[in-house]
Amino acid sequence: MNESGPAKAEPAYDEWRRHELRRSRVLMVDGNLTTNSRTSEGGISARAYRDGYWGFAAESGAGGDVARARVRARAADHARSMARFGPRRALALPGGSYRGEHEYRGRTPWTPDESVQYLASLHALCRARWPGLKSVRLLLGDEQHRKWLATSRGGESLASIQRALLYVTFTVDAADGSPVELMHVFSGKGGVADLDIEPRAIEPVLDELHRHLMAKREAVPARGGHATVVMGPELAGMLAHEAMGHPCEADIVLGGAVTGHLLGQQVASERVTMIDAAHSWRGEEIMCPVYVDDEGTPAEDAVLIRDGVLERFMHSRETAARLGQAPTGSARAYGPADEPLVRMRNTVIVPGADKLADMIAGVDDGYLLLKTGNGQADSTTEFMFGITLGYEIRGGRLGRALRDTTISGSALEVLRSVDAVGDDMHWNCSGYCGKKQPMVVAMGGPALRARVHVGGQ
Amino acid sequence: MRDLQATAEAALDAMRRQGFDDAMVEAAEHALAELNVAHDEPTLMRGALTHKLALTGIVDGRRASTETGDLADEAVQRAVAELFAAARSAPRDDANAVSAGQQATVDKGPDDTDPDALAEAMAELLDWRAAHTPTVSIEEAQTSHHRVRARLLSSRGSALASRVGWYEMGAMATAREGRRTSSFNFGGGQCERLFDPASGASPAERFGLRRIFTELARQVHTRSLAAPFVGDVVLTPAAVESLLAWLRAQVSDLQLIGGTSLYADAVGTPIASPLLTLRSRFDAPGIAPLSADGFVAAPVTLLEQGRLQTLLPSLYAARKTARPHVPTAAAGWELRAGDTPLEALVAGVPHGAVVGRLSMGMPAANGNFAGVIKNSFLIEGGRAGDALAEVMISGNMARMLRDVVAVSRERLDTGTSCLPWVRISGLHFS
Repeated sequence: MNESGPAKAEPAYDEWRRHELRRSRVLMVDGNLTTNSRTSEGGISARAYRDGYWGFAAESGAGGDVARARVRARAADHARSMARFGPRRALALPGGSYRGEHEYRGRTPWTPDESVQYLASLHALCRARWPGLKSVRLLLGDEQHRKWLATSRGGESLASIQRALLYVTFTVDAADGSPVELMHVFSGKGGVADLDIEPRAIEPVLDELHRHLMAKREAVPARGGHATVVMGPELAGMLAHEAMGHPCEADIVLGGAVTGHLLGQQVASERVTMIDAAHSWRGEEIMCPVYVDDEGTPAEDAVLIRDGVLERFMHSRETAARLGQAPTGSARAYGPADEPLVRMRNTVIVPGADKLADMIAGVDDGYLLLKTGNGQADSTTEFMFGITLGYEIRGGRLGRALRDTTISGSALEVLRSVDAVGDDMHWNCSGYCGKKQPMVVAMGGPALRARVHVGGQ
Repeated sequence: MRDLQATAEAALDAMRRQGFDDAMVEAAEHALAELNVAHDEPTLMRGALTHKLALTGIVDGRRASTETGDLADEAVQRAVAELFAAARSAPRDDANAVSAGQQATVDKGPDDTDPDALAEAMAELLDWRAAHTPTVSIEEAQTSHHRVRARLLSSRGSALASRVGWYEMGAMATAREGRRTSSFNFGGGQCERLFDPASGASPAERFGLRRIFTELARQVHTRSLAAPFVGDVVLTPAAVESLLAWLRAQVSDLQLIGGTSLYADAVGTPIASPLLTLRSRFDAPGIAPLSADGFVAAPVTLLEQGRLQTLLPSLYAARKTARPHVPTAAAGWELRAGDTPLEALVAGVPHGAVVGRLSMGMPAANGNFAGVIKNSFLIEGGRAGDALAEVMISGNMARMLRDVVAVSRERLDTGTSCLPWVRISGLHFS
């Protein structure tokens, strides 16, 4: 593999991609196999840049020479058809090119039979170990992307992303008969065979899940309003992704995000450093490794916030040209018929030196928040995400469990209020980021203590 | 153009030869033409022609399914063989079954893309924005034409053929003044004709984009709450959809099979305000009245004056839970209009907010939720005033359905849904 330096930027530009996407989903609800599905999509696409406009064409199939020529011609035609809107300035698209191959080679994939047998044995264990559960829902799945890319800049690459997940959801009845549920997610790089999820090995984790669920049966609502919270490490990645990740995507910046005016300014506590990592973290390949993006740009880490100062945005070739900055290799397409958009890759808050126990002990009146569901960002940097597990903190000690709630706040204010950063680190790659297209992303970080708005009564 | 009937027949034949007891196949083709705008400028024309073959097989009561985009004979043979192995490894389940005896042909909507119409609709949106809401920036927008052809066959004699063509328009935007920016908002819809010949209305007007842009321009300057309070919300159609989506999930497969639905035994009983009547519109633009499990989806009334009329289990969930199967299409619902003018809906609120959008985590299993109200305006003394920021409401979805106190006369018709504004009392603001 090798990378070339910035090529001479020609206004016309072409790329061609072959993309395979395979997914498996096996869902067992109380021992019933409600989903037992495998899908595979394959397609070829081309994108052309002509006179300031883009054209994109895609079709199913592996694509021989004839099909490849056809989609390339259609892409160029589509770009030229945009001339009906009048002349548009053609940008010299920056960025180098990349030649190389990257494929994750994990364990031998599980057969469908192995997946089903695994879920059956895990379900049996859950029922035997915790007979009071009302419902046990188990989802096992994986997803593999392989992309062959060639560009008119001489780039030629094969890139793959492969990830797997196991969702375990327990439900019990509360005292009033209403259902209460809690989920734990196992995720990692590779296929399901690469997850370390042997039932007996994960039993302690599920024991903990069950213990939290029992506490949640007696949960109380949070008091609505601003509060000091300790966000456990499972939440830090979500905070990184939603709070400042989206507002640092350059297309969002061009759309008017307030971050556009804040480069070089203190936007967070100096304890906060946040990175959208391309492919490696402290010398090891991470969960969604992107060595080359779907425009053929060599991918590099984007240090978004360093010691509290906003330093950089994530870019495609075009957004880099528009803002006069260097591309980061962040243009990614989800499916075979999708065009590349600016997307996050592996967004992390860098661990600090604080101990979680000390962070909790330092709170007189607040909350410990441990698990999250979905989240959403905004152009104002006002973010929110759901909290599915949390506890009161009173006098530095944990109290009652909380009912499900939502936290929100201005990312700038919340990150400026961070006064402790844990020394631990939690990674997750189970979720999808939603924009025009979905996207597989990873996120991670340590425990954080900050002031946020907690939803409640 | 691929012969989908021949593809489906060949795949069904291959599954029979493989040894499946029951099988269902669907061959589909999707043609897309999409005009994209980024940051107020047309940028990209995208076209795609994709194919899909979906196979579901049952052997000895064991079921598996697969989808492939490769319709070549060898690929199909390989997919069938792999599917057989996957089905054989599944647990036996008497609830497994495939569509039987369904016959229908659906043929609707524009077949060919009209590129002039796509461009004209987008140009109209851009021109209107520039003329009327210049502080609003369209972050991204699309107008598109879709044509989906499909053939579904089952070993139990079902044969469904469909060709559905439609147009879509969608946009996401923010407003800016100097260094201040509003929250983003988005909207859109689908239709068979971009410009309605009856009313002459543009899609931007019909789908509420002009209203969204106008309100965005008023949402740059915001205020937060001085203190928490309990008050009323007037949900816009987009926020109403969040509430109705929760209700539909409660009466569908996952909750019914897991025994966690709040309404599993509530058919025939009042679960919502008598002001709410929710019916399907499976004949909506871009929708084929066919269910994913291969049945003709007849019109359904889910709520009649607040009374739950039915659950919505798929064939599998129906057999699993011993309830009647109710096929539903992929989308298409309408809430009956009320008799209160929108203006009066707001005027009746002493203290509360018009809620443009709910941004929140998934509601808890019992319906409890807390969510940020986005694109929202404070109501004081019956008048909608300042835009709000960093305000949350909390409550319970099931309770909200019961606490609807007024429904607007006006509705927003986005094709797949037609919804009014709804006033609900007793939400906690913080």
